[in-house]
Formats: sequence, C-alpha cells, structure tokens
Amino acid sequence: MARRLTPWRWAVLGLAALYFLVPLAASVVFTVDDPDGISFDAYTKILSAGGFVSSLLLSLELAVTTIVVVLLLMVPAVVALRLGAPRLRPVVEVVCSLPLVVPPIAFVAGIVSVLKWGPDHLSRTPLFQTFVAIQNPSFPVVLVLAYVVMALPFVYRALDAGLRAIDVRTLVEAARSCGASWPQALVRAVLPNLRGALLNAAFLTLALVLGEFTVAQLLGYQPFAVWIYNVGSDQAQMSVAVSVLSLLVTWALLLALAGAGGGRNRTAPSRG
Amino acid sequence: MTTALTRSDVAPVASAKRRRRAPGWLAVLPLLVFTAIAFGLPALAILDGAFTTKDATTGATSYTGANMTASLHGAYLTALLGSVRLSAISAVLGALFGLPLAQAVAGSRSRALREAVLTASGVLANFGGVPLAFAFVATLGNAGVLTLHLGLKDSGWDLYSFWGLVLVYLYFLIPLMVLTITPALDGLRAQWREAALNNGATGVQYWRHVALPVLAPSLLGGFVLLFGSAFAAYATAAAMVGSAVPLVTLQIADALSGNVLVGQENVALALSLDMVLVAGLVMAVYLPLQRRSARWLDA
Amino acid sequence: MTATTLEKAATEQAATVEFRGLRREFGATVALDGLDLTVRPGEFLALLGPSGCGKTTALRMLAGFEHPDSGAVLVDGRDITQVPAHRRDAGMVFQSYSLFPHLNAVDNVAFGLRMRGVRAVERRSRAAELLELVGLGDKGERFPHQLSGGQQQRIALARALALRPRVLLLDEPLSALDAKVRLSLREEIRRLQQELGITTLFVTHDQEEALSIADRVAVMRAGRLEQCAEPAELYGRPATAFVAEFVGTMSRIPGELKDGTVEVLGQRLPADGEAADGAVDVLVRPENLRVRADEQGGARVVATAFLGAVVRLTVRLADGTEAKADLPAHEAAGLGAGAAATASLPERAVLVAARTEN
Repeated sequence: MARRLTPWRWAVLGLAALYFLVPLAASVVFTVDDPDGISFDAYTKILSAGGFVSSLLLSLELAVTTIVVVLLLMVPAVVALRLGAPRLRPVVEVVCSLPLVVPPIAFVAGIVSVLKWGPDHLSRTPLFQTFVAIQNPSFPVVLVLAYVVMALPFVYRALDAGLRAIDVRTLVEAARSCGASWPQALVRAVLPNLRGALLNAAFLTLALVLGEFTVAQLLGYQPFAVWIYNVGSDQAQMSVAVSVLSLLVTWALLLALAGAGGGRNRTAPSRG
Repeated sequence: MTTALTRSDVAPVASAKRRRRAPGWLAVLPLLVFTAIAFGLPALAILDGAFTTKDATTGATSYTGANMTASLHGAYLTALLGSVRLSAISAVLGALFGLPLAQAVAGSRSRALREAVLTASGVLANFGGVPLAFAFVATLGNAGVLTLHLGLKDSGWDLYSFWGLVLVYLYFLIPLMVLTITPALDGLRAQWREAALNNGATGVQYWRHVALPVLAPSLLGGFVLLFGSAFAAYATAAAMVGSAVPLVTLQIADALSGNVLVGQENVALALSLDMVLVAGLVMAVYLPLQRRSARWLDA
Repeated sequence: MTATTLEKAATEQAATVEFRGLRREFGATVALDGLDLTVRPGEFLALLGPSGCGKTTALRMLAGFEHPDSGAVLVDGRDITQVPAHRRDAGMVFQSYSLFPHLNAVDNVAFGLRMRGVRAVERRSRAAELLELVGLGDKGERFPHQLSGGQQQRIALARALALRPRVLLLDEPLSALDAKVRLSLREEIRRLQQELGITTLFVTHDQEEALSIADRVAVMRAGRLEQCAEPAELYGRPATAFVAEFVGTMSRIPGELKDGTVEVLGQRLPADGEAADGAVDVLVRPENLRVRADEQGGARVVATAFLGAVVRLTVRLADGTEAKADLPAHEAAGLGAGAAATASLPERAVLVAARTEN
C-alpha cells in the first residue's frame, strides 16, 4: 500500500520544498543582486552598520538573562511537583498556560499602562525608583520580565516532557539511600538526567528572545529584531541579508541542540 | 502516618512529613510570586484600563463601558473582524496543506526524511516576525525577485494585501501544523488499518470511518492552535503591510504609539481584552480536544 | 457464554486451510522458507516458535496483510493468495491496541457489518449478541480506554467473529495481558472455539500456552515447520532436538551410542532419534530423571527450587554436566543443596541427539 503512494508523496514534498525554499533563495538573490552583477556588499556592510553590534549584544544579554531566570523559577517548581507537591500541579499548569491566552500585543499594552502608574501615582514612593530602574535603556529589565512570562508555557512543556521520561522520586530516593543530601540528590542525580529537557527549554527561550519584536518595539527598545526592522526602512538589501543570516543562525542552533542529544519536543513558540 | 511510612525515608516519620511538605510549597512560591507581578499586574491593568476612562481636565478616573463599546464599533470592529477572517482563512489553509505534508513524512519509512522535515518545521515555525516579512518582500514585494522576473506586477499581484498576508502567514503556519499533527499521525496504529481491512473495509473506508475520526480532535486542535498563532501575530504584519490591511494587533500598536487621537490608550486596552477573550476561547476549545486525542492515541 | 444457533450455522462448514511452499524474504532475512502446513476443519492449531521464526508472517499471509514471494494459501482448496485483505473470510485478533479508540464496544464489534452496509438496528443486535457471547454484554457503551486489557481483547475477539469468518486468526492475543487474565482468557477462547467449531490459528511464543490450548501444535524454526503434532506427542516424542528443547524443559546428558542403544548414567537404554554412533547427548525431561540421596553417589545437588507439588533439583553429574530433575516434594526432603546423590533414568527408550559443545 505504502509503495503505491510514493508518487503522491513526492509531489507533496516537492510542492512543499518549492514553497519553503523559493523565498529563501529569492532573498539570497535579492541581497547579492547589483546593477553591476553580483555583490556581497549587503553582507560585508552589516558588521559596520550602526547599531548592529549593540542590538545583537542586547538581544543576547536579554536571552541569557531570561534563560537563567526562567530556569531558576521553573526547574525547582516542576521538580517539586513530582516530589512533594503534586497537588500544586494544576496551579502551576494554569499559571504556565495563562500567557498563551494573552497575545504579546495585549500583554505589552498592559505593561505600558502599568509603567504609567509610576509617574502617575508612585512618584513620591521608593517604588518609583524601581520603576525607573527596570526601564534602564542600557539593560531593560522590564523586557526580561516580559520574556520570562512569554517563555513559561514552552519551558514548562519542555521540562514536563523531560521529567515524564524519568522517575524523579526513585532517582532521588536512590541517591538519598546512597548517602546523598537533598541538594546533592537534585544536582547530581536529577539535573544530569534532565540535560536534554534543559537544553530544549533553553533553546526555545533563546529563539523566542532573539526574534521577539512586539514587546521590545512598543516599549521603545532596540534589540536585534527591532534593529532589522528599523534598518529595513532605508537599507532594504542589508535588512534582507540580516534576515537570511538570522534564519541560518536559528538552523545552526537547532541542529546543535539535536546534536547535543536534545529531546524530541520541537513545538516552538511561534510569533508572527 | 502510614502513607509516610511506606515511603523510604529514614528520618522520623512526623518530621519527614513536615519537611516534605515545606520545600514543595517553597519551590513553587517564587514562580507564583513572579507571575503574580510580571503577568498579574499587566493583566489587571488591561482589565482595569478597559473599563475606566480618564477625564482630560480633572484627571479623575471613572468606570465606564464606553471603551469596550468603542472597541466593537467602526474601524476597531473592522480590524477585529479582519484579524479573525485572516486568522481563520490562514489556519484552514495551513491545516489543509499541513496534513498531507505531515502524512507524507509520517508514512515514510525514511528516517532521514522524517528528521529533516521535522527539524525544518521546528525552525520555520519559529521563522515568524520581521525576518519572514523581509524575506517575502525580497521575493514577492514590489521590487521582489519573483515579482520582477515573472512580471507579476502586471497581473495585479500585490503582496501588501490580505491574500499576501495569508501567503506569508502560511510560511510559519504550515510547519506549525506539521509539528502538531505528526505525533497524531504516528499514533495511528498499523493494527487499526489492518483490523479495518480484516473487517471488510476498503482503504477509502478505513480513512473515512477510522483514520479521520480518530484524527479529528488533533486536526481541530491544530486548526485552533494555528488560528491563535495567526491571530496574535503582529511583527510580520507590521513589517510588511503597515496599516494597509486592518488588523486588531496593528490598531493596538497604533493606539499605544500615539498615532491616533490622545486618550485612546484605554480603547487599546479594551481591544486587548477583546483579543484575550478570543484567545481564551481558542484555548478553551483546544485543551479538551488535546486531552481527548492524547487519550485515544497514547492508550 | 453459549453459542446461539445463529453461530452454530457457521460451524457446519468449517474450513480447511493450507499453506503451500510459502516463501517470503524481507531484505536479507528469510521470514518463511517454504512453509507447508494443513489445518483441518474446526481444528485449533497453535503456531509456536521463537520470535522471528515466521509464525506471524504466515498468519498475516492468511489474513492478506503479507504476500508470499512464492507459494500459495488455500482455503477449502481455493487459492486465495490474490484476494485482497478486506475480502478474505478470516477474522483476526491482534496482539493489542487494535480496537478503534473513537468507537464504543458495540460500534467496534459492529464495524464490519457497517462496512457491509447492514442496517443499524440489525448490526447493533448482532453486536450485542456477540458481546454477550464474550461475557461483556453490559459493557457495550464503554470506550476502549475505559476497559481493561482483558476486556479489550474479548471485544476484539467479538469483532473478529462478527462477520462469521470461516477462519479465526489469533496473533499472540494474550501476550500483553497479565498472568491471571491470560490464563482465564485462554480457557475462554478455547471454549468459544469449541462451541463455534471454527477453524482457528493461534500464534504464540509461549509453549505452555500452545500445549494447553491447541488440538495440534506446529513448531516453527527459521521459516520452516519442525514438527506438527498433538501436544502430548510433541512433548513426549519430539521429532527433533530443537522441538525437544523448545517445548518444555530438557537436559542434555552425555552418552555413547552404539547399534541403536545408548550408554548413559551407567545404564544401557534403547535410543530414538537421529545421531551417528559415538558420543551423543541424551535428551531427558526433568520428570524422567530420578535422583536419590546417596553418600557414595557421584552426583551432587547444586540448587533446589520449590514449585509446589514438585521440587526442581539442579544436579551436577559426575562428569560435570548439569541436569534438571523434578521430584515430588516429599521425596526431595533429604536433598538440599550440596547433598551427594545418584541419578538414573527409567528403563525405556530415550531420545538422543548429536553432541553439542557448550
């Protein structure tokens, strides 16, 4: 049966390949197209373009911080759900699904109005200083807060899938009966077995932060995705070149993750 | 006490029980506090702002339903309906094209093909936002490579339109569908096909009476997920069409960046609440479907 | 649990099934290497063998899910090799997970009737009847995920019988169940089969299951038939060393074969089986090896295992080979591990086989 369907299968795959490869190929053609033939100027100019390095660095810093924070919050929580507090599971599940119900644009609208409370109501309290501090343009903590929230559903799913594959309770009890203390049991027995899930969660968060546009743009910061957008208005070729490169970087990261023995959970956060 | 005893803890029973309870709460607490602040406050702000209005002269706020009413009238309603229409059409097409692609992969015995397509889908489902918009502008925009070489302009092609957006959205929606539906297709057991044939069903009857009904929750769930993803999308549309196509996300952004009349921020919050309600509806449909399909396919 | 007259009607024309020279290769592996086998009308035949011996492939060829490279499958003398799976008259029960998850028990059983265009009322009453037959008349509205493994397999059995097939195919239907359910369900399958008188093929790798349930057992090895015989004969007079060791427990004791008799454990006994004169192995069932405590004996008990009515001793003989012996519990009292003993065989013919080094 399966054999007879092969032509059908190749037709489907061929059409899909056409649809997905043509824009990429055309983008590459677009970037090297020059009145005098072929030119790689668009690519060589990227490095020297104003804001490229600083916006990319900002995105990477935000990504690393977000990953650290989200893992510090989530790993103890999900391990605890397996070990001591199964009754909290529905609570955590709901908390981690709520961000899915609030689209980023609505979320940022809420953040904008919260940030307005600062000058409006709190200008004479110490909290005001906090409001100013989290909006520091050189490292906007408010973006980290937003990205951690947006990453929660994906990180929860990745970690939960990883934990489902191992019996945490038995692992911990085995480690404890071998003389390990509680912290030792977690660090030496549980975390190594979660390596794939942690990598997976980290990758999903990284992809989310590097590509995030909505929140950053509307709060007035310029990480990488916003920079591409701003460049696009006057340097079309270069912005497309950067887009192509950013796709290649995502590919490389995902392949590296697969190579590092990551999980099979590829449900990625999608953003349009 | 007896339950504590059955667990292999060496410490005295009572203290073991107490110790176990405490870290459980403590480990989850930071997460709850964090989300209460970082998510709870903005959510409250949306809810509060959507129902309040500020008097321009006195600065006093009062509760009102006017913002919500405004968000469901005129240009705002057009934008909301435009978003729903765009998301629904993109999601239907994404599901329709994604299913055969996923089936071509799931039914294949080639592991390499499978891995390649799934990995590519993982990347492409992520390839939304600004880079995607620019890739399509370079391909099919007014000065795009295909537009120029195929002379599409003369035939009336316009990327910066409703159908242009659909075409672009499919670029990340189809891979998302492949990722969503492949596990369900893998869950179709060979025994079901054989049992159906054994009971006198033809191949077509098998698809009609067994495979499609079993896949139905996953298909519907995939559609709903695609709808939600397209509905929330902002970056692609912003980078591509500006405000040529009326979409609720673009309206909210406009209101927030002060591109429209002053005092419209609260309408933006009302629109946001509209979006939350639609997205909430989407999840309310999706989750039970997901649960049912998991029960059928992982049994 | 009684078959209705409706069911009985099918039995009057129980089918004969023949496999003729079936051959099938999957890439480099030969799944079937010229299988010849005839199943008699109304017979319950077990296909027994280690995994990869081709037993499942043979069954699937009868169901129409596999096609032989050469050879033919005949039902009542008619070649059905080219008949597509959905038009074969064979009901099949799969290993597990074969119930349609979106249909309840009644609709699962009625599925085939629905495919045939039988009216809803009629097929529902027929399905209810079949559920009654497998003892699940009250579970008709349940969905597969609400049923235990044993119940699911009963419903699968009812579904397989719904179209009144001429042959019933059972592909290790008990292997996913736990021991107790396995035992009761296999007795029920047997009773049902006898009531319906339907020709049945039962694939299993569990020799105890095959021996206890089947009229005849066909032992397969590497795509070929080793022996097809009634359980008692298979156990008592295995045709080959492979059958002897696959079916039941068998110890190998070294002996010397000469002129049709064999010198073993200090006895000279008539020999059965094919082996050249000289050093051979004598194949001995545990219940045929006699062991008694003997301070001067050359054998030594190395382990004992209590099995209820009998105690199974592992005995190291004078030459170092180990053999198993079953003794009634009361006789084994003085034979703990380490006890010196003498082993002997009853005075009758023994099965010999070429010596294997191990």
